[in-house]
Parts: sequence; C-alpha cells; structure tokens
Amino acid sequence: MNVTADQLDALQELINIGVGRAASLLNEMVDSHIQLEIPFVKILTATAAYEELNSRFHEASLASVKLSFTGSFDGTAGLIFPTESASALVSVLTGEEPGSDDLDAVKIGTLTEIGNIVINGVMGSISNVLKQHMNYTLPVYLEDKIDNLLLPANTSEATKILLAQARFVIAQLELIGDIILIFEVGTFDALIHVIDEEITLLADNSY
Amino acid sequence: MSLVLIIDDAAFSRRMIRKFLQVDGYEILEASNGREGLEIVHQYQPSCVLADLLMPDMNGFEFLQALQNEGLNIPTIIISADIQESARNQSYSLGAINFINKPPKEQELRAAVQQAINTKE
Repeated sequence: MNVTADQLDALQELINIGVGRAASLLNEMVDSHIQLEIPFVKILTATAAYEELNSRFHEASLASVKLSFTGSFDGTAGLIFPTESASALVSVLTGEEPGSDDLDAVKIGTLTEIGNIVINGVMGSISNVLKQHMNYTLPVYLEDKIDNLLLPANTSEATKILLAQARFVIAQLELIGDIILIFEVGTFDALIHVIDEEITLLADNSY
Repeated sequence: MSLVLIIDDAAFSRRMIRKFLQVDGYEILEASNGREGLEIVHQYQPSCVLADLLMPDMNGFEFLQALQNEGLNIPTIIISADIQESARNQSYSLGAINFINKPPKEQELRAAVQQAINTKE
C-alpha cells in the first residue's frame, strides 16, 4: 500500500508522541536528561529493513528487549542498546559496580523491565491516541546481532513492514539506545486506515 | 503491622516497590505471578495487594477476576507499565481500587497503599 504525505506525517507524529512519553519515563528512572533524535519512519520490504538495520548497527553485539503486540495491529517493538550502554544503564539503576558479578546477575531482569516500561510508553501512547487496544506478550531479552533480534524469521522478501526508529542519548551516562517498531504487513493497512479516520475527524473539527 | 503483598514477575520492580514501602514499616510479602499471589492471599489475607498486569501463568487481570470470583475483598492496586486507557478501565472494572503507571513515584505509591489500608480497616 502506498502512503500519502499526510498519513506519513501523522504516523511520524504518533511515533514522536510515543517516544517522548518513553523518554520521560526513562528520565524519571535514571534522573538524567534524555536527548532525543528525530525519529524516522520508513515503509520497507523485509529485505530492505534488514539492510537498513544492518547499516545502522553493523556487526555490533546488542542487548535488546522485544515486546510483541497483537490486537488491532500486530507487530514487534524493541529497545536496543550496545552492550556497554546496557551495562552502564543497569549499573546506574541498581547501584552495582560495572563489570561485577552482581551486575551480571541482575542485568537481564533489570533491562527486561526497563524495556517493558519504555516500549509500553511508545505503544500505549499510540494506542491511546488512536483508541485501539493492544495486547502485549511478555517481554523477551536477547543479546545478538541486529539481524537476529527483531525481524520474524518467516517474513518473505516481499513482506512490507513499517520500520520506525528513534535514537536517544543520555550524555551524562555516555549511553545510547534505540527504540524500533516493526508493524507486520496484515495490520499495517489497518493502522493506516485508523490514522486516516483520525485525520478525517480532525479535518471535520477544524475551522 | 499491616501486611502488603507485591505481585510482579520483575524482581527489579518488586525491589523498587519494597524499598518505597519499607519506610512505612509494612510487613511485605512477594510473589512473581498472579497464581503465586493468590496462594499467598489465601494463606495470609494481606491488607493490600500491589499487582502488575503482564505476568506469566496468571496475569493481573486474571488475578483480579479470581479475587472477584472467590468474593475476596482485598484492596488491590495495579502497578503496570501499560499506559493504555483501556487497560486502566479494565482494571477498575475488575475491582482494582487504584492504577499506577511504572515507574511508580514513592510518595504516590505510599499514599495509595495507606489509603487502601484505611479502606480495608
């Protein structure tokens, strides 16, 4: 499906709202300023999405928390950190020394919960604006290269997905992270349809 | 001393909530899913329950439903990362007396628990 400029603009703004909410939650947790880069939204084939993510992350080993959603829309949302950033974040949140055994012991649980809170911030904002309920699966923590982390194994080359990506930086902690959303094909059209309804509604109410 | 039960599959969140509530001297029990939580409710009848929504085995909605089905009137506060209005509304319709988004703020949490315990008494 082709997306109009208005639809893409609305989509981008929805992601902005969601990422903004997620950043404010993260800010509360780490008590440090979160600097956001402007999120980008692209509609790509699965193959192009792989290339896009690979060019962004290269061969880096990444820590990720993945939350799948179903309901009005199906897809996957992920929070991704370079492994050093992930350890720094856990250290700040738990008070454990970087590189210690104690830090390793709490790392997965802590990052999973952070991912859960941040991703809910993004998806919940979208859900609330569009008035569409989503159900979430339990968050999953993985450490791997980017191409093994987010995209479902069964996507065909022709599959269209919406890739939304937002980078945030916590300069004080020398930490970077990315929020990545992937909407699967069947529900992407549904998402655009709901956005269209919202655009129409707003147009009807404008003077 | 009032007994408070924290139900959350994330040790990180249980630890944060416990730290906030210990200030007020509550006796605190923990469970990592709704089913475990329900067993503790049967055994200890806590004054107040704090429950997450998204949990394995028995989630927070199912836990609230189980309390209702068994006629157990225990003030339950949902503490969840889910910011959807629909999740909040569903929690209230299943009998939750309060809904707090994660990460909880210390003052808000302590006030909510105090209020829940006063309701119970």
